[in-house]
Amino acid sequence: MKPTSLREAAAPTPPGTGPRARRLITDGVGVVARLALGAVLLVAGYLKLVDLDGSVRSVVAYDLFDYEIAKFIGLTLPVVEVAVGALLVLGLFTRAAGLVGASLMVVFIAGVASAWARGLSIDCGCFGTGGPVAPGATRYLEEIVRDVGLAVAGGWLVLRPRTPLSLDALLTRHPHHERTD
Amino acid sequence: MGLIGAVTAVLVAIVAVVVYLASRGDGLDAAGGANALAEGGGLVVNPDAGNVPEVIVYEDFQCPFCGQLEQTSGPQIVEAAQEGDIKLTYIFMSFLDGASGNQSSSRAANAAVCSADAGVLPDFVLEVFEDQPQEGVGYEDEAFLEAAESAGVEGEQLEQFTTCVQEQEYQGYVQDMAERSSQDGVTSTPTITVDGEALGQQQMQQLLSDPSAFDSVLAESQ
Repeated sequence: MKPTSLREAAAPTPPGTGPRARRLITDGVGVVARLALGAVLLVAGYLKLVDLDGSVRSVVAYDLFDYEIAKFIGLTLPVVEVAVGALLVLGLFTRAAGLVGASLMVVFIAGVASAWARGLSIDCGCFGTGGPVAPGATRYLEEIVRDVGLAVAGGWLVLRPRTPLSLDALLTRHPHHERTD
Repeated sequence: MGLIGAVTAVLVAIVAVVVYLASRGDGLDAAGGANALAEGGGLVVNPDAGNVPEVIVYEDFQCPFCGQLEQTSGPQIVEAAQEGDIKLTYIFMSFLDGASGNQSSSRAANAAVCSADAGVLPDFVLEVFEDQPQEGVGYEDEAFLEAAESAGVEGEQLEQFTTCVQEQEYQGYVQDMAERSSQDGVTSTPTITVDGEALGQQQMQQLLSDPSAFDSVLAESQ
């Protein structure tokens, strides 16, 4: 046995390691994951909804789809983003919303990576301002890192969908949360 | 819970489809006046050009680099068309409409279609870009009328032009040009294609900085 775990075992309730403290941390991570992914999706979707032509152009700029398909994606994606974002912020159907959110992020990462690999110079259009940029002004790595973080947040919610301050908790009254009082 | 979840998912799908159906437009069938190609294909400067390279210029009247391009290389491009070395077409986009409070991009694009009816398209385009306001300030109708007068429109034709500008007669065609640009895969301005191939960053840079670059850029890209 390693000396560290021996010390832990010796102390009855060392700060930060008891079941209550651990639950506080996982609860906190859950809320942060939900609000972060939810808020980003909500804002990104809203900014596209107010400029749908721009949203379509952003998809066209990836040069991956036929125009009609790009148009369909550009017009429907913002609705999905807003809906999933709102569900996450409210904490309703958290597991399903987290799954869709994480899946969206994986698709976005693939799209940005493909633009990068093909040497395109575009903005990801994540927040409605897509299209070509100057060759030195691309921010692919930054965009991918952000989306990986958000995908992880979504993944966390799939594994641990139960978070405080959520409609899910309110509607199902899980004993887990009643006991915390 | 499961039932509400399913209902929510279906609702989201329905809203998405409604947004799609409501915004996808109704085809590119608006009429565009003199020398306007069908399906938002733009305004041709010299329709009777022979078997020469086809140059399409995609611009938004509010885009600053379009102004720089026109002020630098515009005259040479128009000259090449007038001498029959190229077939020149303008497609005016209007995605910068949001940058000004008064839909300046699409109003300017509409005025350009009106100017083609008056037979002065290339001069009108050069004149408007000559006095391009700062991005976000936008154009007043007055600017289009002055540009048309400078291009030589007068009398009854000027009256027709004025009505055409004020009534935004070609609003539908302006929307079609915007959609056509996206269909052509053009997502930023200025973009120039020669026989369907977009000029590269470096060639555009030359046109933006060197007033005599067009002939050599054209020769390179064939």
